[in-house]
Amino acid sequence: MKRFAGWTLSTPATLLVLVFLILPVLATIVTTFATTAGPFAPYLTFFGSGFRRTVLWRTIQISLATTAISLVIGFLTAYVVSRSPGWLKSILIVAAVFPLLTGVVVRSFAWLIILGKNGILNSALLSTGLISEPLSMLYTQGAVITAMVYLFVPLMVLTLVGVLEAIPDDLLQASASLGAKPTATFMQVILPLAVPGLIVGAVLVFTGSFTAYATPQLLGGEAQMVMGTLMYQQAMVTFDWVSASTIAAIMVVITIAIVLLMTRVARRLNPMAV
Amino acid sequence: MTRNIHPVLIALTVLVFIFLVGPLVIVLGAALSDTSYLTFPPQGLSLRWFENIFKIEAFRRTIVTSLEIAFLSTGIALLVGVPAAYALNRYRIQLPGWLSTLFILPVLVPELVLGFSLLKNVATQFHAPIFVSLVLGHSLLVLPYVVRVISASLAAFDFSIEEAAISLGSPRLKTFFTILLPNVRSGVIAAFILAFITSINDVSISIFLTGPGISTLPIQILAHMEQFFDPTVASVSVLLMGLTVAVMAAVERTLGLTFFAK
Amino acid sequence: MTQALSIQKITAHYGTTKVLEDLSLEVAEGELVSLLGASGCGKTTTLRLVAGFLEPTSGKIELGGKDLTRLPPHQRNIGLVFQNYALFPHLSVADNVGFGLKQRGISGEAKTKRVNAMLERVGLAPFGDRLPGALSGGQKQRVALARALVIEPPLLMFDEPLSNLDAKLRVDMRVEIRQLQRANGTTSVYVTHDQEEAFSISDRVAIMHAGRIMQLDTPETLYQRPANAFVARFVGFENLIPMTVAARDGAGVTAEAAGGVRLTLSQDQFGAIPDNFTLACRADGLAVTAGADGIPATLGLRTYLGRAYQYQCDTPAGHLTANGPLTRPLDIGATAKLVPVPEQCTILAPE
Repeated sequence: MKRFAGWTLSTPATLLVLVFLILPVLATIVTTFATTAGPFAPYLTFFGSGFRRTVLWRTIQISLATTAISLVIGFLTAYVVSRSPGWLKSILIVAAVFPLLTGVVVRSFAWLIILGKNGILNSALLSTGLISEPLSMLYTQGAVITAMVYLFVPLMVLTLVGVLEAIPDDLLQASASLGAKPTATFMQVILPLAVPGLIVGAVLVFTGSFTAYATPQLLGGEAQMVMGTLMYQQAMVTFDWVSASTIAAIMVVITIAIVLLMTRVARRLNPMAV
Repeated sequence: MTRNIHPVLIALTVLVFIFLVGPLVIVLGAALSDTSYLTFPPQGLSLRWFENIFKIEAFRRTIVTSLEIAFLSTGIALLVGVPAAYALNRYRIQLPGWLSTLFILPVLVPELVLGFSLLKNVATQFHAPIFVSLVLGHSLLVLPYVVRVISASLAAFDFSIEEAAISLGSPRLKTFFTILLPNVRSGVIAAFILAFITSINDVSISIFLTGPGISTLPIQILAHMEQFFDPTVASVSVLLMGLTVAVMAAVERTLGLTFFAK
Repeated sequence: MTQALSIQKITAHYGTTKVLEDLSLEVAEGELVSLLGASGCGKTTTLRLVAGFLEPTSGKIELGGKDLTRLPPHQRNIGLVFQNYALFPHLSVADNVGFGLKQRGISGEAKTKRVNAMLERVGLAPFGDRLPGALSGGQKQRVALARALVIEPPLLMFDEPLSNLDAKLRVDMRVEIRQLQRANGTTSVYVTHDQEEAFSISDRVAIMHAGRIMQLDTPETLYQRPANAFVARFVGFENLIPMTVAARDGAGVTAEAAGGVRLTLSQDQFGAIPDNFTLACRADGLAVTAGADGIPATLGLRTYLGRAYQYQCDTPAGHLTANGPLTRPLDIGATAKLVPVPEQCTILAPE
């Protein structure tokens, strides 16, 4: 009995994932290769359409920008948080967790209020006289990126605080004792040791933004269609399920490829794992 | 330890935290406004938009549905996830490495794709009721959190304690409930909370699976926003934030805030 | 290059808890002084204060006459060897050793030469390209040592450097550390909780307790002539018997302990004996005899030490631990006399 105990206990979860995740998702992908028009026809259609290529390229741009900005902001913030005294650190972490636990709809909605035509930013700019006409900030790439950064910075901060706290104090003291100035310690010790964590954080943010729906829908709308919103539109508005499946397949392949590749890179770069 | 941080960095961090918390404060302000349009700072204070939530039948219904789905899917995920996490830690040697990857797969597969695939290949194919599909989808969505969090607390558990109990004559199953579970209590609570919150907030899976008559709160909020741009949405958002605060307070009381730092 | 360290009346706090009080310590040029004590005695705090990782509430730290007290750690030029080695896991052994040189603007040929020479000295020449993760504990400690020595610091400090090594390696490494330190003549402070380690390699040892130095002396003096009850217990005087002189007769002194126990001690053997004193004896310093003189004792549990039998004894002067010869094991309940052996006992003046 003991020999199979491990298998017995993990079977229900395995079945749940197998039957309701792996099989349906595989079926979705398989249908794209089994159309009457030939095995790769849906992909030829996708990449043959200028509009869709634009959507893909825009999604990549938005995701890369979101990732880069979140990385910089997240890392600097996480550095300060990890060096803060205990009580302040708790407060800062709670302040980062709170938005993280607040839903994506609420957080995107907040930016609607801020960036709208009659929004706070416009009223503030108008009242200071910096502008005379309200700016149209919604439904721009900038709006989507801003809200996405807002969405992912807390995740990045929390991930990187964990990474930075895992660097032993000893190493920083050793560095200082050997004459390294604080900036040298940061560049030569902290940064290299945080690289694997930075990669993990970047992968989380990139895949998250690449497959996001609610935020680009609310702040980008039709004007800034991305893969997620395009897929929803194809599936639920035009009911072109082959097209939606094709987008789904592309999202899955890109997501999993990036995750596998980058976690491998991160592992190779992680000297602590040796 | 002398921890000197450059003042520029500190200023930057302050800005980041204003950026993180500010928008939520603005939502709170907008919810309290007496005007029929969204504005900040609030003009006149009123709770009428909170009353409005409960006047709108769709909100009342979806709040209940969302709670039901969150409880059910979290329950299912715990039911299958706890034994799986236990197996992964206790029988690490006899189980293949890919098994643990399998349980975090729902995180790797984009939620939109999972939602769409469930709609296309399960809900329509087998005429599964909307509510059932939603519960299924959410169970998958939260399973990785359950497995991961409980695995983490099991990793710190010394299984020789369990063996000690068994050697003292406690039956295996009883040992699981009297020795193991109490020791990973905080892990189970954490898993429950994370799973619950994740389910309540989900958009990407639910957007495909909701249908006539049955919707979840976030989807209802999206639908409401398409037609009205009044402070009701802000009020609902504040309600959801209230739930988050309640959860964090619960975590603080049971596990301490350091939990979040992990 | 080597310089003397002077710690002057240092007080330090962690939050509101005082961890060091008015601590002063002078370490001469080229000398190796150990700070010895249980955890929490303040030895590591002292080291961290000198390294600059902590700031004292009051007092002054000087190195070679230069005030260090408010200098940031990276400007202090002190070689540190850490308990957990603290090697940079992302840098090769050679880059670890060269780290300090790089910070001093030494690069290229000059750096490589000094790094290689140092690796040669610690016997790690073939390991320059390895990452620290691929080394054994002893090798890691050698890298840590090389890294601290290569910057030719005027002061070297060791924080329990051997506590993560196994017993055999610990003995080898402490000899190696002492040899390197001697050869360079670098002033050194060595923190440890291991008495044997401290005594074996130090010129002088400071025994610390509750944030203060209880005694600072050569290992020989500490071992044979502890200055107070704390140090006496620490170096293994298990029996402390408070006594009062009842009569003096030339060099002979008759002293009385609790329970009316009387002993005659010779000042020729024990040195000058004050009117009130504590007789401190190791277990070997109380011989279990069948004679007429000595402390009357009822023997309790007997344990076998290899070189002797040890007895837990019940006496009118309290509980005492004494050793008896292997030739004549005595059973529980037997009575005997315990006689102080002057070479294994010492007289503590009242504190």
